[in-house]
Amino acid sequence: MIERFMNRIAGARLPALAVAAVAALLGGCAGRDTGANEPWDPIEGANRFVFSINRAVDIIAIRPIAVLYRDWMPPPAQRGLHNVLENLGEPVTAIAEVVQGTPGRAGTTLARFLVNSTIGIAGLFDVASAIGLPKTKEGFGNTIGYYAGVEPENGGFYIVLPMIGPSNARDGVGMAIDASIDPFSIVTFSISSTAGWVYAGARFGATVVDTRSRTLYALDDLERNSVDYYAALRSAYTQQRAEIIRQKRDRTGPRAELERRDKLALVR
Amino acid sequence: MLLLASRRAVLCLAVAALALPARAADGPAAQLIEKAAAEVIELIKATTGPQREAGIRQVLLNYFDLPYMGRAALATHWEATGAVQRERFLKAVVSAEARAYSERFGQYGGQTLTVARVSTRPNGASVVDSKLTQSNGQPIAIQWEVRDSGQGLRITDVKIEGVSMVMTRRSDFNSYISSHGGKVEPLIDELEARAAR
Repeated sequence: MIERFMNRIAGARLPALAVAAVAALLGGCAGRDTGANEPWDPIEGANRFVFSINRAVDIIAIRPIAVLYRDWMPPPAQRGLHNVLENLGEPVTAIAEVVQGTPGRAGTTLARFLVNSTIGIAGLFDVASAIGLPKTKEGFGNTIGYYAGVEPENGGFYIVLPMIGPSNARDGVGMAIDASIDPFSIVTFSISSTAGWVYAGARFGATVVDTRSRTLYALDDLERNSVDYYAALRSAYTQQRAEIIRQKRDRTGPRAELERRDKLALVR
Repeated sequence: MLLLASRRAVLCLAVAALALPARAADGPAAQLIEKAAAEVIELIKATTGPQREAGIRQVLLNYFDLPYMGRAALATHWEATGAVQRERFLKAVVSAEARAYSERFGQYGGQTLTVARVSTRPNGASVVDSKLTQSNGQPIAIQWEVRDSGQGLRITDVKIEGVSMVMTRRSDFNSYISSHGGKVEPLIDELEARAAR
């Protein structure tokens, strides 16, 4: 019985099975798609292990650096670094906006990039926002979520990535696509692999400090007020990502989310 | 042509349905949020330390339906919980939330809360959209879920940038319960221990 089953897997059905497996990993199962369920976490044991390592690294190194950065770096310098990092993300945002079918929005993003890279001195100052080119931030996690026909709470399996933290199949794949199409990374790696790694390392390090200093308050609050920090963070991450993707899909407002919550019936 | 006309009528109806709840931005639900925010700001200006915490606790008890929130957070485990345990659980949750909100409000630094639109839901709840404007950085979107479960309008959930406090607590409690043999007792013990600290 099992043998026959294995033979079928090894046989001609393999491509179809692989497609189904990838679809299931990326989109989760349609049957789970009620939004009321907990985030799908089939590798919770491994995730909790990575989470504990991340947390130890955070307590020893990242959080203290982020606190020093927040308290001692002059606020204009903090804003400047944040602007530079956001500016580096604009080309990927523009590509994602084209894929999402909003080329006009992509044009604005490119204009922002050109203005801020030149007049804004390599992105230090967000001149573009001041002259009426509003900022958007997109990536391929959002894009997959936008096109996937499932509730945005369902991003496939939940995964805790080393150093990066909470993610899921959708956002992890999105992040990999973002990194692989990033023009700066392509250019620096084409110069030499050293240049590429220096760029990638510097950008990652700066992003970690910037992001952590901005999430100090929220994460401290979440940790202090939860009995299972891992589960609380998993839920908060899933909800926040879903909110962003839902706004993208449902441009008229948060109605779909409200309807979902009506059906949810938190108390029966 | 007829089809087109009727389609337009449907569209108009839909627009009207969208616009109606939005116009009620000064309805009772929005007033509740504005009143609560004003009271908290007054407290923060006038009091400090334990006096402030006690004041905020009172605001929470007056404006929030904490038992409802606790019950929603316990989700399906609520049914399996006995009356004595329920009471202990709710008491512990109220203290935990009171402390958490006192800490959050204690960080107040001159932000202003502007209430935008109110959407009324078929299940009787109203959702009040608001923005917390900070002196530095982006405004924070806060949604308040308000409903009347027999004691006048009360706040039953707060959503900050899309993250619902009740949903997060629910996941948190649910996970704690399942990692402690599916029993509610250890959770109550933990919450009571934290309240005593």
